[in-house]
Amino acid sequence: MTPLFLSTAEFWADQAVNGLTTGSIYALIALGYTMVYGILQLINFAHGEVFMVGAFAGYGVVMGLGGDELSGAMVAVAILLALLAAGAASGATALTIERIAYRPLRRAPRLAPLISAIGVSVFLSHLVDDGFLDGQSKYYPLIFPTGDISLGPVSVSYLQLFLMGASLLMMGALYWVVQRTRVGRAIRAVSENKDNASLMGIDVDRAIVITFLLGAIMAGFAGVLYGLFLSAIRGSMGFLPGVKAFTAAVLGGIGSVPGAVVGGYLLGLTETVGRELLNEIPGVNLPNEWKDVVAFAVLVVVLIFRPTGIFRQKETKRA
Amino acid sequence: MRIRDHRSLGLALLALVALFSLAVVACGDDDDKGSNGGATRGFSAAGYKAAGYKAYTIEKDQPIKIGISSALSGDVKGLGLPIADSATVAADGITIKGHKIEFVREDDLCKPEGGPAAADRLIKANVVAVVGPICSGGTRAALKVYDEAGLTHISPSATAGDLSNPQGRAEGPYVTFFRVPVLNADEAREQANYVYDVLKAKTAFVVFDTDDYGKDLSQQFQESFKKKGGKIVGQPTGYEKKQSDFNSVIANIKQAKPDVIYQAGFYAEATVFLQQLRKDNDTKNIRYMGGDGVKNDELLTGAKDAAEGIYLALPGTLGSEFGAFAKKYAALTKGKESDAEGATFGPESYDAAAAILKALEKVAKDSGGKLTIDGKALNEAILKSDFAGASGQVKFQNNGDRAGAVVRFFKVQGGKYVQLKANEK
Repeated sequence: MTPLFLSTAEFWADQAVNGLTTGSIYALIALGYTMVYGILQLINFAHGEVFMVGAFAGYGVVMGLGGDELSGAMVAVAILLALLAAGAASGATALTIERIAYRPLRRAPRLAPLISAIGVSVFLSHLVDDGFLDGQSKYYPLIFPTGDISLGPVSVSYLQLFLMGASLLMMGALYWVVQRTRVGRAIRAVSENKDNASLMGIDVDRAIVITFLLGAIMAGFAGVLYGLFLSAIRGSMGFLPGVKAFTAAVLGGIGSVPGAVVGGYLLGLTETVGRELLNEIPGVNLPNEWKDVVAFAVLVVVLIFRPTGIFRQKETKRA
Repeated sequence: MRIRDHRSLGLALLALVALFSLAVVACGDDDDKGSNGGATRGFSAAGYKAAGYKAYTIEKDQPIKIGISSALSGDVKGLGLPIADSATVAADGITIKGHKIEFVREDDLCKPEGGPAAADRLIKANVVAVVGPICSGGTRAALKVYDEAGLTHISPSATAGDLSNPQGRAEGPYVTFFRVPVLNADEAREQANYVYDVLKAKTAFVVFDTDDYGKDLSQQFQESFKKKGGKIVGQPTGYEKKQSDFNSVIANIKQAKPDVIYQAGFYAEATVFLQQLRKDNDTKNIRYMGGDGVKNDELLTGAKDAAEGIYLALPGTLGSEFGAFAKKYAALTKGKESDAEGATFGPESYDAAAAILKALEKVAKDSGGKLTIDGKALNEAILKSDFAGASGQVKFQNNGDRAGAVVRFFKVQGGKYVQLKANEK
C-alpha cells in the first residue's frame, strides 16, 4: 500500500499528463456540443456517435494501409490519412443527421429535436455495435513509436505529446476559422441572434450546416486520437466520452468556445487526479470507474456555485 | 441577500454530498481488503428450502431436451459459444433408449441478471438437466432458481469459491448444483506458486474485474501469494467490464514497480489493458500473469504484439477423451481439431454434458417408447459419476465440486499459446 501522500512527484506528473491527454479529447468533442448549442440551442446528443464514426473511419484507413505492418514514415502517412478520413466521415454523418433529424424540427417545440437527437444516438450506436460488430471491439494497431521525453519529474510519451499537440493545433485552427473568417463571423452572428442575422443577409441554413461540420470534424479527429491512445473502439464508445464532453462544455459555459476547451482539460485533469487523490486516503481503494464519479461530482459542485459555467455566455435576446 | 442564501445552501448540499460519499466509500470497501482467512468463504444457505424435484416425461419419438446456459452474445461470447458447442457435441451419435437428444440454448450474458432469466426460460422449456450457467455471478444468482425447480445443473466454468457448501451437502443447500472446473482457489494457489517459484517474482500488482469471478480470483491470489512470501504492491485495482481507459492504473503500476502484474478478469478488458500497458516504455516489459478468463483466441487477435510473452493459467487438464472431443468439435464448427485447444472450458463443458447423458442412460425408465425420468434419481446418478472424460477423470465431491485439481500454464510465443512444462519459464 502506498503510504499517505507519499506518492512520488513523477506519479502525480504522470497522472496529470494522463489527465491532460484525455482532456484534449474531451475538449475536441466538447467544441461540437458548445458550437451547436450556441447556434441552435440544441444539445446534440448524437455527437458522441459522430465521434465514434470518426474513430472507425480512421481505423479502416489504418488497417487498409497495412495495420500492424506499418512502420517508419508510413505511420505518419497513415495517421494523417486516418485523420482526414475521420473528419470526412464524421462530417458526412453530422450533416446527414442535421438534415434528417434536426432541420425538419427547427420550428418545433424545443423538446422535439432533443428527443430526435437521443433517438439518432441510440440508433447509430446500436447499429454499429449490434448490427455490424455484434458487441465486439476493434483495436487500433500499436504503430505509434514508444518513447518518452523527460523534463524533471514530468515524463511525457511521444504519443501523449502528439495527442496534445495535434489537439491544440486543431483547436487553434477552429478558433481561427470562427474568429477570422467570414464564415466564422456568420456563425457568430447566427449564434447571437438568428433572425437578425437572417435580416442582415446571412444564409442561416448554411451557417448552421457549417457549424455542424466544424464540430463534427473536431469529433472525428478526436475519434482517431482516442483510438491511438486507448486502442479499443466499439459501437458504444461514443456514449461516455460524449456525456463527459457535454459535461465539459457545460462546465466551461455552454455556447462558449474557449469554455469548451477549458472545460475539457479541467474535466480530464480532475477525473484522473481526483480519483488518485481520494485513493491516497488510507483505507480507500476506489476502482477505476470512480474517475467518472469524480468527474460528475465536480460538475455538480461547479453548477451549484456557478450555474452558467466558467465562461458564462450572454443570454440571447428573444423578440 | 439572495446570493448569500444561495451560497450557504450550496455549501450545505456540498457538505452533505461529501459526507455521504465518504460513508459509502468507507463502508463499501470491506471486501476489497483481503482475506477472511478461514475455509468457509461466505457461503450462505439462508432461507434454504428443499429442492423441488419433479419427474419428466418424454413422449414416444420425442427428443430428450437438455439445456445450455451460456454467454451467447456480447464480450464474453468468445468463451460462451465454444462452451455451448462443446456441450452439444457430447451428444453426437448418442440416443438414450431410442430417444434423440436436443439441446436448448439460452443466453445468460455472463451476468448476475442473466443467470436466473436463462434458468427460467430453460425450466419453461422442460429440459431435464442443464449445462451452465457459464459465469460465477450468473450461477450464484441462479442457484436458488434451479434448486426450487429441482433442475440439476452442471457448470463447466463457474469457479468462485463460495458457490458450493464447503461442509458438503448433508445440510442441503443447492444439491442441484455441480461443477466440473477447477476452482479459483486452486488456480490462484498454483499461479502464486508459479509466479513466486518459477518466475521468481517477489512483488505483484493486481488488477481485477469487479464481478464475482474476478474479485474472488484476485483475493485468492493475493492470499496465496502473501502466504508464499510475496508482497502485493500498490493498491489492487478493480475495473468494470467494457472499461476502456487503464492509463491511471498504469501510472500506479509505474510507481509501484512490481515484478509481475496479475490480472483476474476476462479477455476483452485484458486486450485493452495489455495494449495500453505496452505503449509505455516503463511498463513495456513487466511480466504478466492472467487468469483463465483471459485465455482466449480473441486476446491474440486483438492484442497481437501486446500479448507476446504473457503467462496464463488454465485450470484443469486434458483427459483421455480429449481426442474424441476435439474431433467432434471440429466436425461441428467445421474447423480444425486443434481448435478444441482454444476452447477454454470446452473439455469441461463436454464432460458436463457427458455426465448428464451417462446418468440419463442409468435412470431413464422406458415404458412402451415413453420415457420417465425422475429428477432426484438423475441428480443422485450424476453425483455418482466416475468416468474418464475430456478434462480428466470426472468425479464429483459431495458438495458438487469436482474432485481432483490440476492447473496448466501457458505462455504466448509467436502469437500462439504454448503450454509450459512444470517449472518451465
